[in-house]
Amino acid sequence: MSGTKAQQLWRVVVLNDPVNLMSYVVMLFKLLFGFDEKTARRHMLEVHERGRSVIWIGNREQAEAHAYSLQRWHMKTVLEPDETR
Amino acid sequence: MKRVEVRLNLEVVAPLLDLMKEASDALKSRLAVRAHVPGSDADFVNNWKQELLEGQTDDIQVLLALFDVDFFATGVIALDTENGEAVLRACSALRLRIREAHLKPLGDESLESGEVPLDEMPEEQRKAFAAYVFLATLQELIVEHLDPTEPEG
Repeated sequence: MSGTKAQQLWRVVVLNDPVNLMSYVVMLFKLLFGFDEKTARRHMLEVHERGRSVIWIGNREQAEAHAYSLQRWHMKTVLEPDETR
Repeated sequence: MKRVEVRLNLEVVAPLLDLMKEASDALKSRLAVRAHVPGSDADFVNNWKQELLEGQTDDIQVLLALFDVDFFATGVIALDTENGEAVLRACSALRLRIREAHLKPLGDESLESGEVPLDEMPEEQRKAFAAYVFLATLQELIVEHLDPTEPEG
């Protein structure tokens, strides 16, 4: 049996805000994450309708970089440990 | 480089600039959105917030620089692929601040739909709403014409 502990993964979660335009958020998701229009729009609608969307899952360092970039664009963003795996 | 020149009505836009400047001044020492910084190391948290604040200040300077002497002479502002992203972010920051300072009582649904009781609003709040809408219009123009995710043709 391997003794290697699986690396902890982190979720980048965008929270809803009542100010940023839908078109701005879609463009931003495409710009920062390379999403196509359909994927970016799906995440934007999830944020808008459910209040949050998990935009990215991966290692801590990259998750922090994504969170910083999103906050630079004034998006409410939090990191959460990914407990799903 | 893509470039869009926008001719604005000076009589409409000039009075909004004071309000935008007021919002800009308020954002010199605070972020438009409270930053949730991962981790508990004080230096890391402070650096994260300080860098966000410096970026926010730089972006707002780029936006306000559009309204210079030439603008007051011609009514024209020039948006391009060099200033577009900074102006987008600055508009977002100022809209967040203007909502916080002046428009919260209107409620988010009214703000989103644009169905606000303009006739019943005090002058200062009406001006704040006009600035809020103006900044959104600038953002829509940039997303439509200078979308940084679209290859330059």
